[in-house]
Amino acid sequence: MSELLAQGPGLEAWLLLAAVLFAIGLYGVLSRKNLIAILLSVELMANAVNLNLVALSRYSGNLVGQAVTMFTIALTVAEVVIGLAIVILVYRTRRGIEADQADMLRG
Amino acid sequence: MLTLALIALLLPAACFVLLAVVWPLRHQGRLAGVLSSSVAVATLVASVLALLNYEDPVDATLPWLVSRGHTIAEVGIHLDGISLSMMAVVALVASCVQIYSLGYLDDQDGPSLGRYFAWHSLFIFAMQTLVLAPNLLQLFAGWELVGLCSYLLIGFFWREGHAGKAAVKAFWVNKFADMGLMSAVILMYVATGQFGWDKALPPGTAELIAGLLLVGVMGKSAQFPLHTWLPDAMAGPTPVSALLHAATMVAAGVFLVVRAYPIFAAAPHVLVFMTWLGAGTALMAAVIAVFQDDIKKVLAYSTASQLGYMVAALGSGEAMGGYYHLTTHAFFKALLFLAAGAAIHTVHSNDIHDMGGLLKRTPVSGGLFLIGTAALIGLPPFAGFFSKDLLLEELYEAGAWGPLVMLILGVALTAFYMTRVVSVAYLGPPKGKSAAHAGQPEHEAPATMLGPMLLLGFFALGAGGLAGPLAARWGMHYAFHLSPVGVVALVFALSGMALAWLQYGLGRQLLPLGGGLRSLVLSAPVDRAWEAAWRSATLPLARGIGWFDRYIVDGLINLVGWGTLKGAALARKAQTGRSRDYLFAVILGVIVYAAYGVIGARP
Repeated sequence: MSELLAQGPGLEAWLLLAAVLFAIGLYGVLSRKNLIAILLSVELMANAVNLNLVALSRYSGNLVGQAVTMFTIALTVAEVVIGLAIVILVYRTRRGIEADQADMLRG
Repeated sequence: MLTLALIALLLPAACFVLLAVVWPLRHQGRLAGVLSSSVAVATLVASVLALLNYEDPVDATLPWLVSRGHTIAEVGIHLDGISLSMMAVVALVASCVQIYSLGYLDDQDGPSLGRYFAWHSLFIFAMQTLVLAPNLLQLFAGWELVGLCSYLLIGFFWREGHAGKAAVKAFWVNKFADMGLMSAVILMYVATGQFGWDKALPPGTAELIAGLLLVGVMGKSAQFPLHTWLPDAMAGPTPVSALLHAATMVAAGVFLVVRAYPIFAAAPHVLVFMTWLGAGTALMAAVIAVFQDDIKKVLAYSTASQLGYMVAALGSGEAMGGYYHLTTHAFFKALLFLAAGAAIHTVHSNDIHDMGGLLKRTPVSGGLFLIGTAALIGLPPFAGFFSKDLLLEELYEAGAWGPLVMLILGVALTAFYMTRVVSVAYLGPPKGKSAAHAGQPEHEAPATMLGPMLLLGFFALGAGGLAGPLAARWGMHYAFHLSPVGVVALVFALSGMALAWLQYGLGRQLLPLGGGLRSLVLSAPVDRAWEAAWRSATLPLARGIGWFDRYIVDGLINLVGWGTLKGAALARKAQTGRSRDYLFAVILGVIVYAAYGVIGARP
């Protein structure tokens, strides 16, 4: 039993988990109306990617994956900052943060 | 001789271009007129010199239409006895008319006068292009161009109402006839691969081509039933009527037959038809002329009648008589028109019943009108006598009895209607407007008008004598001999004169020329028939074609446009402006790509 525990669930499980998280995040991005909810979903997708990277790094014994994850976390932070800034600006000009409100490019 | 002919051809063209482009020169009406007349006189001198220096036929051409290496048609000049003499006649009448116009149109403003003389220069060039043409294609080009000049010059007084309509009518009728001419030209190429008239043709083709050419001739030379435009063309200035619609342009049809005679000689059925058509037109037009009060209309119908004489003569199998009459007719008919113009100028009316006693009031122009009349009637020793005699003799020898009888009756009628005009307008007391203005000072025509008339009068008198020497120069034999037909014609002419003098000069109403016949003739039945055909056939056809153009052709184009717009509206639905939808599209694309990568790439 402890060998099983020591072994862990296996690479496929981790990858599956990351894929599921990614799918949930994707669904959220596509279906949520609130801008902040959309940002949360994007964050979820980013974290799913990070999980993927770390899992692959552990099961291949290569530390490169984890190093890249450090970078992607930083990038995600920067992206969220900008996203929130945009949300604030949208709120200030349009008095609402519904995604469907911003359709000025409508044909 | 070649250079002289080229000068005669191209100088008027240069004058036209100069007047067309340099508008300050053109707006100086009188100056433009003097320039144009000088060019016309120079053309005359060159033509006469070329004629006198003529030895043998000569061609000077440049390749015009070239296809796959060989030349299909050429442009240039073809000089022989016929083209050189016609060129000289055209130049002579044109010069006389232009100088005359300087006096006749002296009340017109500068720009109008400049426009007038520019068209005249263009006309000389166009007519010479036709006359000197080495093939049917260039002749056709000149033909159309003179038709254009006719339209422009008839419509000179376009501001005054019916001149514009008359110009359009002339253009339309000629254009209709030109369909025949164009078909003939094309057929000639299809049959022989070139546009000349010398190549031998199979008999059926010759008949067809000659017949189609004849359609064109009917339009241009005002033969029944395409004669209706000529009387209306009198709306143009009288000098224009003299030049285009008496002496030269209308003679172009006759000239075409003379020029392309090899084709006609091979088409006996067409020739027979021509004798009847010409004689019929001659007789019909002479009858109508009897009932006209407008002096110009009398002369217009007379022109149609005399052209009928020429066409009939050409149908006899000999070209000389018709061509001879063409040249003498050019002289005396132009003279008659110019003299009539002088009368109109004096009396300020076209109606003969507003004239009277003009021989006493304006002796020079009156006398000249009488000279023209004598030539037209065919009294010796005037030119018309000789040409008519030759013409009738040719028909007699061809055995064309029906046409011959009609033509001799026509001689009597010609004498009748001309003597009527002379009796009413030139002899007797002043009538109508002239009577109302009696006692006021009157002026004879100015020298610019009289000079050309005198020159034409000389030819109307003397052209008979010139024919012999000129023919000898060209190796042809012409000696005048009086034929029995000629004598008969002379008798008929004299009787016609006598009858008219009794009826109009002395007032004895011998012939029932009032009432029924008069109203029938003046109701213009041929015009009515054409108008009915126009309304019932041409206009509905045009409307149908217009409908087709608007709804089918345009409809197709509009359909494409409409389809584009509808498709675009449909496609626009994808542009919602919502970032969610765009993201969705991106993800969709990614999935498709990935699916292809996983599934499609399998070997």
